[in-house]
Amino acid sequence: MKLHRASRSVGVVALLALLIIMLSSCGSNSAQSSNEPIVIGVSGPLTGTNAQYGEQWKKGFDLALDEINSKGINGRKLEYIFEDTQADPKQAVVVANKFVANEKIIVELGDFASPASMAASPIYQRAGLVQFGFTNSHPDFTKGGDYMWSNSLTQDDSAPLHADYVHALGLKKIGVFRLNTDWGKTTYDLFAQRAQELGIEISAVEAYLPEEKDFRSAITNIKNSNPDGIVFISYYGDGALLAQQIRAQDIHLPIVANGSNYSPKFIELGGDAVEGVYLSSNFAPTDPRPEVQEYLKKFREKYNEESDYFAAHAYDTMILIAAAIEKGGATREGVKKGLETVKDVPSVVYGKVTFNTETRRVQEPVDVRLVIHNGNFEVWDGSLPASSASN
Amino acid sequence: MSLLEVKNLTRSFGGLTAVNDVSFSLEEGELISVIGPNGAGKTTLFNLITRFDQVDSGQIIFNGEDITNLGPELLVGRGMARTFQHGRVFGNLSVLDNVLVGAHSRLSAVRPRIPFPLLGALGETLLALLRPKRVQEEEEALRAEAFEILALFNDRLIPRADQPTYSLSYANRRRTEIARALASRPKLLLLDEPTAGMNPTETAEMLELIRLLKNQGITILLIEHKLSLVMQLSDRVIVMDEGHVIAHGLPEDVRHDPRVIEAYLGHSSQTSRPESELEEDLQVRV
Amino acid sequence: MNIFFDQTINGLVIGNIYALMAVGLALIFGTANLINFAHGSVYMAGAYVGWTCVTYFGFPLFLTFLVVMLFCALLGMLIERVGLRPLQNSARIAPLLATIGISFILDQLAQIIFSPQPLALPPLISTKRFSLGATSIGVLDILIASVSLISGALLYVFLRYTRMGWAIRATAQDRDAAQQMGVDVNRVNQVTFAIASALGGLSGMLVAMYFNVLTPTMGFQAGLKGFAAGLIGGLGNVPGAIIGSLLLGLIESYGVALLGSSYRNLFAFVILLVVLVLKPNGIFSKGRQLPPEPMTGTFIASSKPVQIPRSVLIGVSVLAFLLPIISNNYWLSVFTTALLYGILALSLTLVAGTAGLMSIGHAGLLAIGGYTSALLSLRLGLPFALALLLAACVTAILGMLLVMPAFRLRGHYVSIATIGIGEIVSLTILNWESLTGGPVGLMNIPPPSLFGFEFYSNRSLYWLSLVLLLGLALLQWQLVRSHIGRTLRAIREDEVAAQAYGINLNRYKGIAFAASGFIAGIAGVILTHSYTYINNETFNNTISVLALTMVILGGRGNIIGSILGAGLLIVIPELLRDVLGESFIVYRMLLYGLLLVLFVRWRPQGLLGTV
Repeated sequence: MKLHRASRSVGVVALLALLIIMLSSCGSNSAQSSNEPIVIGVSGPLTGTNAQYGEQWKKGFDLALDEINSKGINGRKLEYIFEDTQADPKQAVVVANKFVANEKIIVELGDFASPASMAASPIYQRAGLVQFGFTNSHPDFTKGGDYMWSNSLTQDDSAPLHADYVHALGLKKIGVFRLNTDWGKTTYDLFAQRAQELGIEISAVEAYLPEEKDFRSAITNIKNSNPDGIVFISYYGDGALLAQQIRAQDIHLPIVANGSNYSPKFIELGGDAVEGVYLSSNFAPTDPRPEVQEYLKKFREKYNEESDYFAAHAYDTMILIAAAIEKGGATREGVKKGLETVKDVPSVVYGKVTFNTETRRVQEPVDVRLVIHNGNFEVWDGSLPASSASN
Repeated sequence: MSLLEVKNLTRSFGGLTAVNDVSFSLEEGELISVIGPNGAGKTTLFNLITRFDQVDSGQIIFNGEDITNLGPELLVGRGMARTFQHGRVFGNLSVLDNVLVGAHSRLSAVRPRIPFPLLGALGETLLALLRPKRVQEEEEALRAEAFEILALFNDRLIPRADQPTYSLSYANRRRTEIARALASRPKLLLLDEPTAGMNPTETAEMLELIRLLKNQGITILLIEHKLSLVMQLSDRVIVMDEGHVIAHGLPEDVRHDPRVIEAYLGHSSQTSRPESELEEDLQVRV
Repeated sequence: MNIFFDQTINGLVIGNIYALMAVGLALIFGTANLINFAHGSVYMAGAYVGWTCVTYFGFPLFLTFLVVMLFCALLGMLIERVGLRPLQNSARIAPLLATIGISFILDQLAQIIFSPQPLALPPLISTKRFSLGATSIGVLDILIASVSLISGALLYVFLRYTRMGWAIRATAQDRDAAQQMGVDVNRVNQVTFAIASALGGLSGMLVAMYFNVLTPTMGFQAGLKGFAAGLIGGLGNVPGAIIGSLLLGLIESYGVALLGSSYRNLFAFVILLVVLVLKPNGIFSKGRQLPPEPMTGTFIASSKPVQIPRSVLIGVSVLAFLLPIISNNYWLSVFTTALLYGILALSLTLVAGTAGLMSIGHAGLLAIGGYTSALLSLRLGLPFALALLLAACVTAILGMLLVMPAFRLRGHYVSIATIGIGEIVSLTILNWESLTGGPVGLMNIPPPSLFGFEFYSNRSLYWLSLVLLLGLALLQWQLVRSHIGRTLRAIREDEVAAQAYGINLNRYKGIAFAASGFIAGIAGVILTHSYTYINNETFNNTISVLALTMVILGGRGNIIGSILGAGLLIVIPELLRDVLGESFIVYRMLLYGLLLVLFVRWRPQGLLGTV
């Protein structure tokens, strides 16, 4: 009897599932009329370990859309559908198919991490839908096909600039902490190459896993290599932890962090420990350019907080995509054409964006040298760190 | 030659010597009962003989071979099978499957004798998957034999052959366990309290069964609390107390041995069984 | 000062932090015989409650600790009431699934309430530090050490000298016997959960203070470390947990000193495995001792598996083949994923279900399969079919060899050892850059192809996956109904009795893991080639937990059940996507967790029952 009930309920569940699937598969994609909104698909993490980044994206996107939709693109509104993938390859693939099947979607943004983005790339490439992996710094991401585009910081440019900053600070021998992901490794390799050219010795490298929280032992290793400065190739969360634990060990060597540490959270989490940290950033709040100041003001007004690098980058991306649609037309092919032909789109992160149509990457990002002073990011005034001066 | 020879076996746990210098031998076809109060070391003795426990000192010789250092899984193939004190059937397996597991060591068509364990395992897996005729026939033959064994228990098990054993009564689980042991075609059968928890009718049935097995020529080592049964079945009786063998001989002699009565009564306060029951056991007329 | 001294201090400090976690886990494991996956979430909850007390209410530290412990004690009691008590008489594995579900719910709730952004705590105690060699320790380090030592000592006294402690120990030894002796086992479990969770919450708060950061997902990693530490000291042993934690801290610290940060966990997990091989029950276990014979009445009341008529199975298979005609590409890709995860679940149900070896490291097998065939295709240019076959064989062999050290282990030790093995695989891939490309991974992996036909389209990939799943399911069915299946189930039910009947445990466990590796390897190959890209994070440990969830949900050892479980767990989150709509998408994982808890309440033996 019991048995019967169970099997019947299983059947009911299965039937229900099937029904819903049939229904959703029948959902028709009616032809777009001229005043229907233009739709962008976003594939990224809203739950799970990387949810914090997805949340920052949304803030940047929404702010950009306020601006774009006040004018509209040829009289049409722009909107996005954000599908949560937890930055998990298997969900990114499924979402890619969902977007591809939805004819209203003319361009896709994301995913957050390379394993997820690159697993979905073949699907976008085949369907001829531009996958705009705006955080995908993996050197080979855009090599997945001519529909893979990215305005992510090509580490080709920014990692050497980071090394230049180290050089400018007069540091000769450095210990490096780097995140052990595709991004961390690529960035480090490029950084190390430039450092070598500049005659900077890397005395020790500690590659840590993304979920690592304790760095005591690694710090001891770095300390014992006797560097005169420490370099972070990290995200703001890890960077703040690192700075704290380094200072707690009574190590007062200058710290030079890379751009992804640029976040109010870096200062909030790091507290006193991040005071005096140098940042090689692509985005400076003190940048006098009107785009930057305008953006920061609007962000503060809307969210009552400071923007970080991820939000700024998301904002930029939406503005850029709008420009591409305007230029190439509101179709899948149009977006691609638009990206190929847009010139000097104003950007918070880059100043102006133009794509290299060969690599489908942005050319020449700006570099701003920052230092944290009294709990604020300020532009570096050129003074050398005390400890390296004494060396 | 004795089938089983136990020489000066000793095993202690921390300060407690559970089996202390125990020696005896078991002739082919013989049935020996091991009795004694709870905690006397009977089950430990079984675990040592069946190699589930490490021997501190002493020697066990089975069928002319020193088995003191063999692993427990190697004995059943040599003709030794056991049951467990509280009954250890495979709860989610059917009665029939339980019995077939008992015949595991007799599988030959599906278990090629290849000296390299890796290749042997691979061969066995392939044979199990491909199921050539020989393998099918072997399985069929064992199945038929399993039913024959189940038939020994009258109609207690046959109608339940396809039921999982967790659904059986306690007595039927004990029967299944014995059926499983028989499926290995043992020369020596070690039964650990086969009638525990059984009512008089069931006990009488078990007594008949053990008698039948004995008549079939199976050598049996029996741990049992029900002395009436022990007296009726045993060729010899070994009495253990606190790890030692305190008496050893014919059932009749052992029963009147003052040391035995002393051991039982002296410890009765420590056993979980009420005194009256022990008395009854000891007084029972054969 | 020498490096050894510095790293010893570093190791002890971090070991301290693990100890806070491990003590609670040990307590729950000891009494309820349960790996409490929700413990990490309680730890996280403690941190957030503490944060709220400090930043919103401005409570002093002592009061904050009190509130945290009280809140988490109540939370623990709730978990016991919801996740454990109703499932007491079902398979031991059911509560484990419930705690996985509960941890999803708690983590997700924290994310919804407090946002996924990391939060910072203001400095609450003196930041004075004392230097020791090249390193230094702070007031907080000393506070944490005292908390773990004092709580360990209090627990010891409580367990030894109070009536409740006596009842807890009695329950830990033998639940049924304790119950017969008049111990209220439910109350014991409740008290245990309350104590352990209060400690867990406190440790979350202390760790949050230590690192000055709170994230909703901070519990999972901490739980992993807690398990590992507990395993070294012997599961369920409170003093052992503390010493095990300190040892784990030291091992990690020396590992970093010797090999660098990227080898930290690899080194630790390898040592863990070595410890397990030498001392299967933890370093404090006494010599080899026979486990007590199970008493009568301890048989787990299982249900009969649901029999599905062959005609229905054939009908469903035919429908499955026809599905691409009506389904759109999105749902087709959902189902393709479900089919491929069905293969993974199939593989896991053979070891976790049929043989009863709860592996929580199966993602490692996917990775081995995926990397092997990717390398064979990219470096040697082998055709796909050959690469697939070779990769499956390599996965079978490596899978078996890697798990072999765990063959001696019993019960939950196997689960935790396999977590470690999974981590070892993933970390080896990360660090062996010359072969695997390390974190950059391998790209441009060719799509699956047979005789020149490329399985590029969604339809062809779906059909390929379906054929493979059905084929492998039939093969596994043939294996399970043979004497090998019988033997494996006998091992699962009772290893001692199985040995008494001549079953060589290692041989059959080896066969099970090899077969399982072969099957999982195939799933890994197809997934990898359809992604065309793989790196060390493609198959991470959440997939291992997901696979186990599928298996338990479907019914252990149940071939059809595992496929059904995989189908449901892949399809449900996708259905929730549409049902919830965009504004409620953050509730997706919350509902998923809730469904898991409800499912396990409704059918603790799995949807289709244990075979």
